[in-house]
Amino acid sequence: MLIFGNLIYVSCLLINAIAILSEDRFLARINFSPSSYDPAFGQSADASVQAKIMNLIASVRTLMRPLLILVNTLIIIYELVLG
Amino acid sequence: MQRSGYGQSPPLHHPVPQHVSTVPQLRSPPPPTSQPHSGYDGSPYQQQGRAPSGNMFGQYGNFINDPAAQLASQFGQTAFKQGQEYLEQNVNRFVSVSALKHYFNVTNSYVINKLYLVLFPWRHKPWSRKQTVGPGGQEGWYLPPRDDINSPDMYIPVMSLVTYIFLQTLIAGLRGQFQPELFGYIATTALVVVIVEILGLKLGCYLLSISNESQLLDLVAYSGYKFVGVIVTISIAEIVNGGKGTGGVIGWTVFGYTFFANALFLMRSLKYVLLPENNNNAQGPMQTMPTEGRAKRSQRLQFLFFYAYIVQLFFMWILSRP
Repeated sequence: MLIFGNLIYVSCLLINAIAILSEDRFLARINFSPSSYDPAFGQSADASVQAKIMNLIASVRTLMRPLLILVNTLIIIYELVLG
Repeated sequence: MQRSGYGQSPPLHHPVPQHVSTVPQLRSPPPPTSQPHSGYDGSPYQQQGRAPSGNMFGQYGNFINDPAAQLASQFGQTAFKQGQEYLEQNVNRFVSVSALKHYFNVTNSYVINKLYLVLFPWRHKPWSRKQTVGPGGQEGWYLPPRDDINSPDMYIPVMSLVTYIFLQTLIAGLRGQFQPELFGYIATTALVVVIVEILGLKLGCYLLSISNESQLLDLVAYSGYKFVGVIVTISIAEIVNGGKGTGGVIGWTVFGYTFFANALFLMRSLKYVLLPENNNNAQGPMQTMPTEGRAKRSQRLQFLFFYAYIVQLFFMWILSRP
């Protein structure tokens, strides 16, 4: 079951990467942040790909931040204890 | 007919024997898959125990003359029944069993034709799935795989997954590299491939706002068809090479052929799932029809192409490594 540990590490690192992205420095530069995007039409579905990716990133960040703190702490303790 | 072993006031125990006598009779035939042994253990035990003790307690004829053991067996029966109900409730929340049954409703001729279709899809003409007409004249549900060659089933993917696992371990054993952990390792690899593929497909569907009318299990079934090609590749390469798995010209030729066959099969089949058809409902929002113009359609076509070719190439290569 060597593959589960690697999978957990990879997914944790990827979600960390999504959560770390600074909103006003990086995302606004490439017009990816929800604040710089004005929804002229008020629909949630059938929007463009960019709107969907931004929604996805924003929702992942708000949902995953406490969970990520917990998982990162667990991994750090595991790595410190078991070397 | 069983009476309780107390014997001092038999009329007071009339509801109890009725409860005890009906439960084992209902229990032995129905669960053939989950608990076959407990059903078989119950009925011969009762019949064996009833005959010798029938001589001593003539009108009672109970299967055991120890009240504590009878209490324990009654407790075990009710516990088993409760456990079965709990299992049914919880499993039915995650996996709908009736939907799964639709996918396993196959015949022999369907399996053979479908396998031929996966490996040689270039001559097949109509790729759309048939639908039955409901009683009110509306469109009903899709026909089961028994009646429709284009309908995806789960029998072939499940069987080919298991065959793939066994084949990989067999080849590893022929090469002298067998370990018992290899089973778990290969099974985990295959399952992770399927799960990552489905996640990627779901992500793509969400991003491109493809409304998924067909179920998730359809996509799982389509993703499992590549195991057939991988099995063919591995077995032919092993027969020809005798050593390393997919090395040499012939191994990669067979791999390329099955990869293209699988890609064409997926392109033709998923065209009806992923690309927007001309929907007949007139009550759809009117402003989405002009905006779903060429750009969206070409985006979805690109996504389908990317999925059918590049993603499948990557995963088939992973699966056919030794």
